[in-house]
Amino acid sequence: MILTVPVAVRSTVTLTLAGAAGATALVAADRAAEWERPGSFALFWLGMLVFTLPAAYWACRKDIGPASRAAVLVAYGCFTYLPKLLRNPAGPLYHDEFAHWRQSHEILLDGRLFEANPIVRVIGDFPGLHSAVAAVSALTGVSIWHAALAVLIAAHVLVVLGVAVLAEQIWRDGRTAAVAALAYGLNSSFLFFDTQFGYESLAIPLMIWTLVALHRAIRGPRRTSWVVTTLLLAAATVVTHHLTALGLVAIMLVFAAALTGRRGCRPAAWTAWLLTLAAAGLVAGWLCWVAPKTAGYLDPYLGKALNQIAGMINDSGSGGRTLFRRSVAPWYEQKAAFAAPVLAFAAIAAAAWRLRVRRDPDPVDRGSAVAALLIGVCYFPAALLILTPSGAEGARRSWAFSYLGLALVVAPLAVALLDRRARLAGPALTALFAVLLVGNTAAGMNPSYRFPGPAAYGSDTRSITPEVRAAANWLRATQGRGLRIVADRYSGLVFGSFGGEFPVTGSVTFPTYDLYLTEPGRPVPPALIHQLSEWDFGYLIVDRRMAEQAPEIGIYFETNEPIPHDGRPAFTLGQLTKFDHTPWTIKIYDSGDIAIYRFDFSALGGPQ
Amino acid sequence: MTTIRVLAAALAASALLAAGPPAALPVAAPIVLLAVGELWPRALALDLEPAAGRIGLGLVCGLVSLPLITLALHLTGVLIRARSLTAGLAALAVLLGGAALLRERSGRPEADPRWPRTLGAIAIPAMVALVVGGAAVFAYVRLPHPPQPGYTSVALGGWAADIDGPVAIPHGGLDVPIRVSSAGEPAAVAPLSVLVDTLRIAPPHPVPIAADTTSSVHVHVPAPPNGCLHRIEISLGPASTVFYGRGPAPC
Repeated sequence: MILTVPVAVRSTVTLTLAGAAGATALVAADRAAEWERPGSFALFWLGMLVFTLPAAYWACRKDIGPASRAAVLVAYGCFTYLPKLLRNPAGPLYHDEFAHWRQSHEILLDGRLFEANPIVRVIGDFPGLHSAVAAVSALTGVSIWHAALAVLIAAHVLVVLGVAVLAEQIWRDGRTAAVAALAYGLNSSFLFFDTQFGYESLAIPLMIWTLVALHRAIRGPRRTSWVVTTLLLAAATVVTHHLTALGLVAIMLVFAAALTGRRGCRPAAWTAWLLTLAAAGLVAGWLCWVAPKTAGYLDPYLGKALNQIAGMINDSGSGGRTLFRRSVAPWYEQKAAFAAPVLAFAAIAAAAWRLRVRRDPDPVDRGSAVAALLIGVCYFPAALLILTPSGAEGARRSWAFSYLGLALVVAPLAVALLDRRARLAGPALTALFAVLLVGNTAAGMNPSYRFPGPAAYGSDTRSITPEVRAAANWLRATQGRGLRIVADRYSGLVFGSFGGEFPVTGSVTFPTYDLYLTEPGRPVPPALIHQLSEWDFGYLIVDRRMAEQAPEIGIYFETNEPIPHDGRPAFTLGQLTKFDHTPWTIKIYDSGDIAIYRFDFSALGGPQ
Repeated sequence: MTTIRVLAAALAASALLAAGPPAALPVAAPIVLLAVGELWPRALALDLEPAAGRIGLGLVCGLVSLPLITLALHLTGVLIRARSLTAGLAALAVLLGGAALLRERSGRPEADPRWPRTLGAIAIPAMVALVVGGAAVFAYVRLPHPPQPGYTSVALGGWAADIDGPVAIPHGGLDVPIRVSSAGEPAAVAPLSVLVDTLRIAPPHPVPIAADTTSSVHVHVPAPPNGCLHRIEISLGPASTVFYGRGPAPC
């Protein structure tokens, strides 16, 4: 194919200018947010749309060559990483980022994988991302954070390219492939969640490329080579992230089932089933022998979400959550968030109808299209989980998988509309693109994760102040690394990452939050003291902001904590300062909001 | 590009990683990864349409090579360090390159003429994105940001930082080192007090705290009246440290 130079040059110039304008608006949006000036949301969406709409225009044009289309998609991938890059250009900010930063740091310090992680306890068993980041950091000499950015930007671009390649395998059309890639970029995790320094950010592209390899393996030629590649990439997904590995097996299962019984698909179906079984075996083997803690880690989330759904059904709404409650998101984001699933349903229904009436000559491709439809349909039941506090997180995460099916199956419909009714379809699809981008992003991430702002307790992204970091640095400098400490969720992030300590933030079996909950003058439960003493816990971190502000994300310690969340602080200052008067806690550090106590359990016999 | 050249590029860049100056490392590492990534499809005889897909596949394979090597190092008991990673990458390049060369003995596949053009087309937006995105991030980082909340911290310093139980205080009392640190707050004068149990042992003593500094203050704590357990609090403004001590006299 000969590159159409004028179009290529025009698209390059247009997108460079649009990218510069978009980047400027994104910078302005973040600055407006951090200085608490109005307009941050509008500037953000202006910046996003000023680039993504021209990118979509160029990607969908008929007269653009494959190389130029690939260039547009790479530009789209790079630009859509910018919002997250601007959010925290200098270091970790989101919850899981601290855990992965620590894990990479541990690899660089100790040279070993599979070290325990106190922030996310199963992360150490899935070393794909942090081993890659630590390796890049060790090889290049750049900081862990810059190595992470290099890996994550590459992974983000590979998501866009991977969806396009998968769509091109199924539909055999470059435009449809480009539209599928752009449509996948509308999912709620694309801009902020799957761009963080978190294992899914690498696992999602690995999963998508595994599906590319799977599709080639089932269609041929060179089946054996592609079978080996599928297994290699599936294994890489398995060692990177548990949920994505499970999602991959589920998607492969749908592909295999969709091919089964279809005329002309017998060898393809066999290959698909064998690869699915092999991938399932890899996942099961890893979860049983390498990461046995994973089931216990995931189980409470799913179980509680199902209970909350049952509660909503039985008790007329109890156990549910109200979307955008106390959210500062503007009205148009909230409306778009509610409109997005409705529009997605209309799109997938139309795509399903089109799939039914149009017969693809290749049975394998048709089977793959049906599989994509089935995967896309899963988006809608998952939306139900968003109404439960425990299921909301899982629902958002599942959209990164289901949107793949949705994007694959809706893309040819969009291209057909553009071909037949360009005048009408162009503006309508542009509006649909904008509403889905705004709505899904708003549904996927809180404003405090998306924008900088004033310090606030109870936000993963805004409660990390210089004061907390100074306390963590002081503890590491004077008392050493690897200390077992009791902390709340937000202090624990800093003490567990930059501090290098081993914080525990409480659980049902080890309710360290009872230390804080105990009323002044009342004894701390002896069983807890015994546990702390037996397990060699040496320090207690107290953040006094717990008595001044309700946590923004509704968590003090962990998701299942037995602490009321009614918009008021759940602790009194007395509960938090009582340790100033208990002989078994020595206050060794105090900076106003943060106090560090050393346990002296031998003093618990009382004054002698 | 022929397989032997890709292999040579991987090995040359590996050598640079092993022995080159630190400034060359950020350039050599991506070359090794891209070359190893390119050798994977050649070794496994993979071809993918469109040409961008082939380039993406190479990138994915290069990225996957890193966890693969770290896992192999871990399983063989070798520590994950720059040298062991470089050796691992070189070994993988030799393995994949050897397999590709062996396979190509039975007939070299035709080079895809679209490949270099697509690579160029992808490299241009990547470079533009690097410049535009880099400039945006640079500008954002360099522009003034709202001041973060300041704080003044008080901590037990020196030997006192290791206090892990009741301190035996002699007749003459003890000099307790206190570390005072201020950040993001203007210079101030704060009252320093010592309380033994509930008794303030002297009028508060004003202590100047310079802005954005860390200093050490020695605070004299007199001996408590007897050998019973006494609470000792040293406070500087609203911040304080608390430990427990016993006097020399019997309880």
